[in-house]
Amino acid sequence: MSSMLKITNLHATVAGKEILKGLNLELKTGEIHAIMGPNGAGKSTLGNILAGREGYEVTQGEVLFNGKNLLEMEPETRACEGVFLAFQYPVEIPGVNNTYFLRAALNAQRKYRGEEMLDSVAFLRLVRQKLEVLHIGDGLLHRAVNEGFSGGEKKRNEIFQMAVLEPTLAILDETDSGLDIDALKIVAEGVNRLRSKDRGMIVITHYQRLLDYIVPDKVHVLADGKLVVSGGADLALKLEEQGYAWLEDGGIATLNVDSAVQSANP
Amino acid sequence: MSELSSQLAAALPDNKQVRPQWLKVIRESGAEQFRTHGLPTRKNEAWKYTGLARLDQSEMQLASDMDKPLNEGSQPVPIAESELQLNLLDGQIVAQSGNVPTGLTVLPLADALMNGINGLQNLLESLSDENPKSSSGHGFSALNSATLESGVVIHAASGTEAGRLSLVWSSSQDEKPQLFNSRVCVILEQGAKLELLEQFESPGDNANTSNIVFQAELGKEAQLQHIRFQQESENSVLITRTEVLQQENSEYTYFGFDLGGGLVRHDLHASLLGSGAKSVINGAYLLDGNRHVDNHARVDHFAKGGYSNQYFRGVAGGSGRAVFNTAVCVHPGADETEARQSNANVLLSARAEIDTKPELEIYADEVIASHGATVGQLDELAVFYLRSRGLDEQEARQLLTTAFCQSVSDKLADPVLREIISQRMMDVMPQADR
Repeated sequence: MSSMLKITNLHATVAGKEILKGLNLELKTGEIHAIMGPNGAGKSTLGNILAGREGYEVTQGEVLFNGKNLLEMEPETRACEGVFLAFQYPVEIPGVNNTYFLRAALNAQRKYRGEEMLDSVAFLRLVRQKLEVLHIGDGLLHRAVNEGFSGGEKKRNEIFQMAVLEPTLAILDETDSGLDIDALKIVAEGVNRLRSKDRGMIVITHYQRLLDYIVPDKVHVLADGKLVVSGGADLALKLEEQGYAWLEDGGIATLNVDSAVQSANP
Repeated sequence: MSELSSQLAAALPDNKQVRPQWLKVIRESGAEQFRTHGLPTRKNEAWKYTGLARLDQSEMQLASDMDKPLNEGSQPVPIAESELQLNLLDGQIVAQSGNVPTGLTVLPLADALMNGINGLQNLLESLSDENPKSSSGHGFSALNSATLESGVVIHAASGTEAGRLSLVWSSSQDEKPQLFNSRVCVILEQGAKLELLEQFESPGDNANTSNIVFQAELGKEAQLQHIRFQQESENSVLITRTEVLQQENSEYTYFGFDLGGGLVRHDLHASLLGSGAKSVINGAYLLDGNRHVDNHARVDHFAKGGYSNQYFRGVAGGSGRAVFNTAVCVHPGADETEARQSNANVLLSARAEIDTKPELEIYADEVIASHGATVGQLDELAVFYLRSRGLDEQEARQLLTTAFCQSVSDKLADPVLREIISQRMMDVMPQADR
């Protein structure tokens, strides 16, 4: 399997404060990686930097996506290249119809890839099909993007957008936070349906709960701007049991996980 | 007084032969007012942000009342279908198509003045009865009264359901820029209903000035929906004043869409004279280039249990300048009034300017009132959200500004018109500076 995403020694600051302090991550095509860690560790910063949000300054390191320099691309170019960020806090956009927006987005991406644009009939057919498999009602089609949506509806809308846009790299930024168990299952189902040998996913989460439904290939712990420990799916269970307090105790030696290996900086 | 005002004053028509006597009085008092005050200047509070330098520099002439030949090809294409359509060229009716619904009378103003229309004299006099002290800001209306002859009178008998009537305005291309005066009078008797769709769209690069006064009287339970769509050329000047008198339980609904025009000024004033009257005033203005659009909207609540809602959205890019003033006065005795004012603006360029000012005066009891005025930029997080899905930056910004203005057109009841106007707005949506 080839490397889809390769993050090397990534340092980044927000408003002058260093948040990422030398992060390394390699995601192979077809893999799902979970990134866990305490609040303030830099998890969301990583997602936002990968999607190209302004306000984050990369001071060192590089990110290669399918061999291309991701950090040099505009956010829309990243999207067209196949990167999708499911926002932790999806933005409400009054007045912009959800269906209109999603069709414009899909067609922008298709145009970029030299594919034919979808007319509204073909698009609606696609959309209905996606809604059906995700068990989401079509009510959200007629509404303005995220406007007045409940927390759960917003997250489901992110998953719905992901299902329609079919990215090659999906980054889910705490998509599970604030969800009840039914909504969580819908989110997980959306992710699992998209899981394929041609795609990669990064699932950023604070809790292990989501990983009961999305079984990752690898779990990483992000603390103080670096990945401090990586392991298999069982690492998440141990973290659930032991919390993150061990980080403050000065190391991972007390974390008794068979598959865990301490990440080493180059 | 400016040189232009003096020239216009000198060109005012002679009133010796004017009949009936009451018309002569209106014209003479208009002329006197204009000779005293001339066109408004920035010294007048209501014109503080809107100067007339553009007019002073042009060699503007007062248009004569001579009949002009109609050039069919130069007529704008109507934006929507209607039961009855009038084309007005330089302020005069030049064509009429469709059917006049039963109960509706539509006449050129000159004919109506000669033949007499129920309520017309009162309506015309109501404008000239104003307090002369406050009239210095109404130089254009005075000029309009002094030349009162061109225009339209629309009268709906009690209970008439007239459907949509379109007024399609345009002005001709002359060697020197002309100033046209025209008056529209709408009289709806008890329970009559009318939708009036005004379209201002002169072909070509027109530098004329249109000075139009619109007066409406809504009888008990009458309903007027007044939609004004203007996409004039960027050298044209459009000065309009709308005065609406509302009796008991009448409803006035206004939609104004300013998509064009070089210098545009609209004074809209609704007087809720009868109890339970309702006035809903909506508008969107889109500016770029060097265009200047000034909307002054005012509602006076004189009677109990009235409702008013003013909702305006504005977008300014380039070196565009928008002025918006919304005022509500709840007079003594107008208890249990509900008055809402909302104005939000988006600035797309550092050179663009928006001046907005809400005013609210309450002298009655149990009044519900709210007002808000904001000027801001696009939500950058929303721009990023759209871009993160694949829309390029320009598309993302265009989508957001269009949506912002569509919150006005979305209130239109007719889905066809809603779609047309929303598309027109999208077509001219100013772009953000990079």
